[in-house]
Formats: sequence, structure tokens, C-alpha cells
Amino acid sequence: MTAQTTAMEALQKELDRLNRAPGLSATEDRVDNIIEMLTSVKDQIVQSGMDTHVASMSITKIQNPIKSSFEKINDDLKGVTATQRKLGKTLDKHFPLKDLPSTHDAMADQESLINRAISMHLLREGQFSVASTFIEETGDAATLENANAVVEGQDQVSASDNYDDEPMDEDRDDDDDDDDDEDDDDDEYMSPLEGAATGLGFRQLQNLSSLQSHELEAKFSQMYTILQDIKSRNLLSAIEWARSNSGELEARGSNLEFELSRLQYVWLFKGPRVNGLPDNELNGTAGALLYAQQNFWRFGNRYIGEIQQLANAQIYARNLSESPYRHTFSTETAFADVASSFTREFCSLLGLSAESPLYVAVTAGALALPLLMKYQQATRAKGTEWTTTNELAFETPLPERMLYHSIFVCPVSKEQTTEQNPPMMIPCGHVLAKETLQRLLKGTRFKCPYCPAEGLEKDARRIMI
Amino acid sequence: MADHEASKINHDNHLLLDQPLLRLPYELLRKNFRSAHFTVEKESTTLNKLLKETAKGSLDGKTSPEDVVKNLDTMIAKMRGMKRKLSTYANEETRLYKQLDARVAHLRELSDMHSVEDVKYEAWSRKRLDRLLVDYMLRHGYNTSAQALANEREMHDLVDVETFLTMSKIRESLENGSVTEALAWCNDNKKELRKLQSNLEFLLRCQQYIELLRINTPSKSVEAITHAKKYIAPFQEQYPDEVREMAALLAHRPTDKNLPLKYAAWYSPDRWTKLATSFVEAHNKLLGLPTFPLLHTALSSGLSALKTPACHGTQKTTSSSQPGHSQTSMTSTVCPICSIELNELAKNVPYAHHSKSHLDNDLLLLPNGRVYGQAKLDEYAAKAGLAEGQVKDLVTGEVYSRTALKKVFA
Repeated sequence: MTAQTTAMEALQKELDRLNRAPGLSATEDRVDNIIEMLTSVKDQIVQSGMDTHVASMSITKIQNPIKSSFEKINDDLKGVTATQRKLGKTLDKHFPLKDLPSTHDAMADQESLINRAISMHLLREGQFSVASTFIEETGDAATLENANAVVEGQDQVSASDNYDDEPMDEDRDDDDDDDDDEDDDDDEYMSPLEGAATGLGFRQLQNLSSLQSHELEAKFSQMYTILQDIKSRNLLSAIEWARSNSGELEARGSNLEFELSRLQYVWLFKGPRVNGLPDNELNGTAGALLYAQQNFWRFGNRYIGEIQQLANAQIYARNLSESPYRHTFSTETAFADVASSFTREFCSLLGLSAESPLYVAVTAGALALPLLMKYQQATRAKGTEWTTTNELAFETPLPERMLYHSIFVCPVSKEQTTEQNPPMMIPCGHVLAKETLQRLLKGTRFKCPYCPAEGLEKDARRIMI
Repeated sequence: MADHEASKINHDNHLLLDQPLLRLPYELLRKNFRSAHFTVEKESTTLNKLLKETAKGSLDGKTSPEDVVKNLDTMIAKMRGMKRKLSTYANEETRLYKQLDARVAHLRELSDMHSVEDVKYEAWSRKRLDRLLVDYMLRHGYNTSAQALANEREMHDLVDVETFLTMSKIRESLENGSVTEALAWCNDNKKELRKLQSNLEFLLRCQQYIELLRINTPSKSVEAITHAKKYIAPFQEQYPDEVREMAALLAHRPTDKNLPLKYAAWYSPDRWTKLATSFVEAHNKLLGLPTFPLLHTALSSGLSALKTPACHGTQKTTSSSQPGHSQTSMTSTVCPICSIELNELAKNVPYAHHSKSHLDNDLLLLPNGRVYGQAKLDEYAAKAGLAEGQVKDLVTGEVYSRTALKKVFA
């Protein structure tokens, strides 16, 4: 049992206790009781015909019971506070408050970029209505801020003779427009946001305009419709999409169109009892063959081997499960597989990663945060402050699948290579960082630190890993 | 660096971002209790006193039975009022208990998971992201969006919509030049604010004084002096400099020519924005809420951990996102830092530190200087339907003979 589990169990126990113990609602009954006493005294007095003796007797009589009712309420409250405090103690013991980094907020001035990332995240997650609410709300705020900025800007001009602000803004806007036009002409399948991202203009980059978001929403809603179809075992819309983008997909070396068509063949091949499609000449082995005749010519020779297999399987139709082709015809995970290939290709053509970057970043952030804090504590203890240099000063290990680029660390200098200090391959095949190589040079020659080979500086070549 | 160790969930430290999740309802629970306790104390004193007086008066013959009945009516009304208040507190208590239950259940889900590769972890982590997004939206006053997202994800018990709505109302009232709401809040949290040594109430009182002086009529000046005696003078010991400056303000009006800078600052409309900020700080500190939106903390740490020198480089690599250029599907996914959503945002954070290379096996050098793992080259050649003995560059699409490749020892 980990410490965390113990802590969670302890917390749950406290919570159960809290839920069982009488809470504040218990006091309500006692107040009711007081009200009853007061009302009954009042009734007695009224019924006695406003008798002075009855009035003084009865009112004196309830003084003590009411006092004790209040004491009971106070006892109730003591009980409530005791159980609640216990919960607090459990929290303090098992979840001591650890200060989060608070001296430096690198994200503080990035509100509009964060808003844009959130908008895109919501869109790609299919949260279209939340996304449009958010875009509207942040858009309003941005407009307001811009209006304020203009007002402040004017103040500044009059106060400090700063004339530069406004004309510069105009320049920027012009640049944006130019870039956008070019981009639109260049590429047919450029993502709607790409214009904003490449034209490094401020306004456009920072706010997802409603037009862009509508385009993106249309794209993602198309993606979700197709994914829904795939989920319900209908590949036709996906195949249609792949076919209309076959040029780009082929350039990427993607097999998606063929994978989809092959699965369609397999699915038809299985016949009405498995696929639930109408039992006619378009279904079953004959239907599959017909489908192949009508569609597979598109792929030319590219998948000839696989197409042959698909065709050969016709011979084994009766006992496919014992044939050499049983693997090709297993559809257990096939639909989930094509769905994820489809998502990946669809997003890639939009210039986006298949997983939400915001999700990946926040998850990675949670994993790296403990180390970040440990480092901050250490530097604070030493009196040095955390500064933003190019590279983190400590390692933040992430799981394998969160490493997207190859990383080369020079085995001699232990430094990561960069564009300024790129990896160099020397004639013996070993790789060193450029700066390392320069340090090893004796004149124009050097000796490889890993093998007996020697080399000339001019024979070392820059490589891209 | 990547190994199994990195995929393990470090339970002791995995909930740093989730601390307010339990702290806040607990703090609110205590605050709620204190309010209930205060109500009971106040009402019981009043009631017992009135009861005693009435009884005494009645016995002494000074209070007529009619007046006794009248007093009883007052007492009954008071008790009804108290009951109403208590039932509001009881409802709040129920709401907070429910929140705590839901939150502990949510956190407990995590204790059954041991690796981030666990499929359940993804669902959990997505929920955490949604929570952080709602928190971010609430802190920035995007309240409609926050509520919409919370509704959509059915996670009302996991987010603090009510707390932040109350906060944003007070903040907005300050931004609009009204101290009333903020002063009421200070009054509700007097003891705690004193413990935190917050100067918020003092600043608000000063602002009231400043606003009276701004009007600059004799009657308002008198009012200002009365106000200062009552509300500012008591802070003399704590904030002697400021109190002195307040007094000096009497002689320095906003319309004065050559008003010294330090006095002009007090009359500046910026003060309201500063007050709003001071309020938010005090509010968050009081409730144990972090200074920045948690999303900021998660992002700055996450962006750095993911970032590599290649992410903002000029060279194309296999995980860059460059639509419109040939790029292969051989790379599993586009890198999140290279993706349009985060690229610009990640520009100003440092990149991750690695002490070990992370490379494919059996690296081969193409004549164009690009290096790929053999498996990837083989797979791509097969997919591209190349002839035997040929390979294709995964990024540039150039085709080479296998004999032109060189082994790389990295």
C-alpha cells in the first residue's frame, strides 16, 4: 500500500465520519423547539384573556428551558466543529500544503495565446458549443482590452510624446493581410489557422477570429461525423474523404485510403451475418469481389501483394479461420485502428497533432512539476534565483510516447545539440557536437574519442538527426 | 530520457495541482461553520436578554401582558430568522460535503493507477485538464464559458464556480469604483484577514476618503475628516506613513497645479485596478488558492518538459508540423510544441534538459545529411512501394540507393 493510498483511505474515513455525524441541520430542530415554546406561552397568555399572572408565570417558566435549548445548540455546534477539524487535521497530515511556484509566472502575459490554444482544444474535442461561447466571451474581453489600450495609448501620447505606438500597429496589420493572401494562394489544404500562425502579426495570431473558428469547427465536425460512421462500422464516408485527399495522403506516404478500402473488402467478405448489411449481390464474398473490381484498380501496383492475398482468400471463404489469411481477415481491432489512423491523418493535413497539444502539455506539466519545484526549492535555499535561460537546468523525464523528436546528447560534452551546435559525423561514423569537435582539433586534425581513427576537420559533416 | 521509471505515477507528488481541490471546500466549510456559530451566539444573547427583561418586567408589573405578547412575537420572529439563516448554512454544508465526497472519489481513482500508460489515466488526466480549464476561465472572468464547460462535462462538484462568481462580482464592483461589496467581504472575514495581516480594509477605507476629497466641497471635506477619524486613524500604528499621507491629502487636492507625484498617485484612477488586484490576492490567500491559474503552472512546466531545440528551429524534422510541405505519416504524431496551438506560446520557455540521447536504433545517414533509423526507412520504402534496394527520405521525399547509406554510431 503506497503512502498515497493510505492517505486517501484516511481521508475517506474522515469523510464518512463527517457524513454520519449530525451537521448544522440538527440545530434547526432545536430552534423549532424554541419557537414552539415561545408560541405556546404566547397562546397561553392570549387564551387567559391577557391575565397578568399567567403572563409573568409562563414567561418566567420558559427562561431555563430556552437557555438549555441554546446550550444544546452550542453542544451540537461543538460536535460539528470537532468532526470538521479532524478532517482538517487529516488534510494537514496527509496532504500538507505545498507551495506552487509563485515567484515567476511565465504564462502571465500570454492570455490571448492561451485563449487561442483553449479554443482550438475545445474545437478538436468536439465541444463546439462551449468553444463558441468561449470564443465569443474572450473576443468581447479582447475587444474591450483593445479599446482600453487605445485610450491608454492616447494618454501616453499626450503624456510622454510617444508617437510610435499607433503607426506601428498599422504596419503590423498590413503585414498580416499580405501574408494571408500569399498563403491562401500557395496551398490548397492549408489549415484555416495556418495563415494566422505564419503571418506573425499580433492581433490575428492572438485571437481566433470567428471566421477561422467556424472553418475549424466545420472541419472537426466533419471529422467527428466520419469517426462516428467508422464506429458504427460504416467506412464509406471515410473512404470518400481519403479519396478526395489522396494526393496529399500519398505524398505523406500514408496508406489510409488502401487500409480503408481493404477493410471494406474484408467487412463485405464476412457477409450479412457478421456485418448486418442487406443480403444481396453487393454483400458477402461476391460483393467483396465486386467491390475490389470497382475500386482496387486505383492503387495500381502499389499494394499488389496485399491485393493478391485478398483475392486468394476467396478460395478459402468456407474456412477462413484456418486459412493463411486469417490474420488479414480479423476485424477485432481493425475499426479502432483505422479510426486512429484516420484521426492522425485528418489532423496532420490541418497541421495539427492527433492528440490535443493542450492535453499532452498539461499532462506532461503535472509529471514534471514535482521536479521543477524540487529544483526551485534547492536554488532558493542556495540563494540563487530561478532564471529563464534557454535550457532547463534539471531533467524532467517523460514517458517514451511524449518524446516526439530525436534527441542527440553529445557523448563528450553531454550537451544537447542545437542548430548553433549541431551534431557532426566524423569519418569513422561516430557523432559529436560541433563544439566538442572544435575542442578536439589539433590544427586541422583530430582523433576520435571513441576509436583509434583520426580525421580531418573538413571530413566531418553536419548531419540532421 | 525515457524509461519505465518515467511512466510511473509518483503518487506522493502527483497531486500538486490538485491541492485546492480539497483545501477550498474545507476552508469554505470552516467559514460556513463560523458564520453559523456567530449567528447562534448573537441571536441567543439577544433572545435571552429580551426574555429576561420581559420576564422581569412582567413580574415587576412594569410590562403589561399585551407587551409580553408583543415581545414574544419579536422573539418568535427572531428565531424564525435564525432558523432561516441556519438552514442556509446547513444547505451550504450539505453542498460542501457532497463536493468533498466527489473530490475524494475523483482523487481516489488515481490511487489505483500506477502508470501513466494505464488507459484509465488518460480519462483521469482529461478530467483534470477540464478542471484546470474551468479554473482558468473563472479566474479570468469568462464565467459563461466556465459554466458551459462544467455543465457539458457534468463536473460541478469538482470545480469552484460559486466561489469564483462571488469573487468576480466583488472584483468587478471595485473595477467599477465601488468599495461597498469589498468592505462587506472584509467584514465577513475580519479575523482571518487580520491573521494574514492584510491591508485590504485599510486601502478600501483610504479610497473612500480619497473619493470624498475628490469631490472637493467644504461639506464633503468635513465628511472626509469624520471618516478618517473613524476608519483611518485606527491604522496609525500599522501604517504610519500612509496615514500621514492621507492627512496630507487634505491639503493636496486633485485639481491642484503641480500636485506632487506621490499625492497624484493616490488620486489616480489606477487605484481601482490596484484595489481589485489586492482584493483578489487577499481572497485567494484566505482560501488557500494559488496565486496563478493552475493552468499556467501546468503549462509552463509542461511546455518546457516537452520542448526541444528542434521545436523552434529552422530545420524540418519528422515531428514538425508543416502543412503544405511534403511530410510523411511515418512519424507517429506531430509534436505538440510544434503544433500550431502551442508553438508561439512555447517560444519563451526553456527547453527540456536531456542527459541521454533518444534515438532510433541502427541509424543510417542519407547522402543529403539526414539520419533515420533503419526500421523507419524500411517501413516507408515498403509503404511507398519502392523497388528493392531503394529508400526514401521521410522528410524530403528524396529517393536513394541503399548502397549510398552509411552507418551512424551515435
